[in-house]
Amino acid sequence: MSVLKASGICKAYGKKQVLTDLELELHEGHIYGLVGRNGAGKTTLLGVLTAQVPWQAGTVTLDGEPVWENRAALDKLCLSRELSATLLGTGANTLRVTDYLRAASIYYPGWDAAYAERLLREFGMEGQRKTRIHGLSKGMMSMVTIVIALASRAPFTFLDEPVAGLDVVAREQFYRLLLEDHMESGRTFVVSTHILEEAGSVFERVIVLDEGRILEDAVTEELVEQFRLVTGHEEDVTAVCAGLTVLGTERLGRRLACTVRGTPDALAALDGAPVDASPLSLQKVFVALCGHGEGGIR
Amino acid sequence: MNGALNDQSSIYLQIARMIEDDILRGIYREEEQVPSTNELARVLCINPATAGKGVNLLVDEGILYKRRGIGMFVAPGAEQQVKQKRRDAFYAAYVRPMVREAAGLGLSERDLLEMVEQATREEENA
Repeated sequence: MSVLKASGICKAYGKKQVLTDLELELHEGHIYGLVGRNGAGKTTLLGVLTAQVPWQAGTVTLDGEPVWENRAALDKLCLSRELSATLLGTGANTLRVTDYLRAASIYYPGWDAAYAERLLREFGMEGQRKTRIHGLSKGMMSMVTIVIALASRAPFTFLDEPVAGLDVVAREQFYRLLLEDHMESGRTFVVSTHILEEAGSVFERVIVLDEGRILEDAVTEELVEQFRLVTGHEEDVTAVCAGLTVLGTERLGRRLACTVRGTPDALAALDGAPVDASPLSLQKVFVALCGHGEGGIR
Repeated sequence: MNGALNDQSSIYLQIARMIEDDILRGIYREEEQVPSTNELARVLCINPATAGKGVNLLVDEGILYKRRGIGMFVAPGAEQQVKQKRRDAFYAAYVRPMVREAAGLGLSERDLLEMVEQATREEENA
């Protein structure tokens, strides 16, 4: 099984430090979710992992071989970036959908043209082949990046915000296509997203990036299971939360609500206590981890 | 996430519960095959590893068993086993908290039994 490994990665844009001493291992055969707030460094990290963006310190290796300027390694990686209606320096993005697909067919050795065609049809975009990128809706631009990512057939495929601009039906369609392909091929996918409600059940593992560091890298369910929202009389809640890590509190008169984290043994103390303890969704876990005390906690 | 699932408990536990429900409803009978991990993942739009974890939970409990190279099957006696498991869970999740709550409200054991009898009659007449 292949392993893509980032070690000691430091990356700055001018004086702005984006990634700091970052360590990450991606193993073949899993779907990873990459989550983090705006500016956390997600896009930069994806660029570094696929050797599309230079970095200042550290190494990225695929099965021990550095990926930078290494054609054999790069052939196994695909980063499908978000498309933009404008191109730097030239104004409107007047390239057509077919131009992007042709470029991808040249760049990715495993390119599956028949699959790309099937995906275009699935997304109802078969009539858009000749459309220029600036003439597409945001959702259709996302669909193009998804088609390229999936049809690349790259063993490690990275999608940066693939569901941005997609409506809920298209998002579900995307996740179904992703799972279908993952089950057939066993490819590794890394998907960055801000929309967590429906994504938690698709990601086997979730990587939480915060201020340029990996805050969490865990099996999604095992991470979520560590959290509870504890509500009740402030005295009871304070007493029962003593052995737990409290990540956020909200007060309403004598009613206190605490978002807590603990080991299964520590959480067992909540059973039978005169408080309500309810599980958190992945989205609420994310807010608790990355909200840095800013609201969002019920 | 599929509409059949919620975020009130771990998805793999919900998968296990869903299969148990289907065994109780006679959707899968004993010695019949249940959907594969990949089928569950596809239909419910969840990660196959998560679906597999739910199925394996039932294998560990002896409710399902694996026929190598074919798939997962409902074990003989599974329906009875699921019923017993649900009764135990009912006791832990409803009866014990009910007794605790009743004590907190100053109800005697007799008061509580009378209330249960009354509720039973009301349900019968409903």
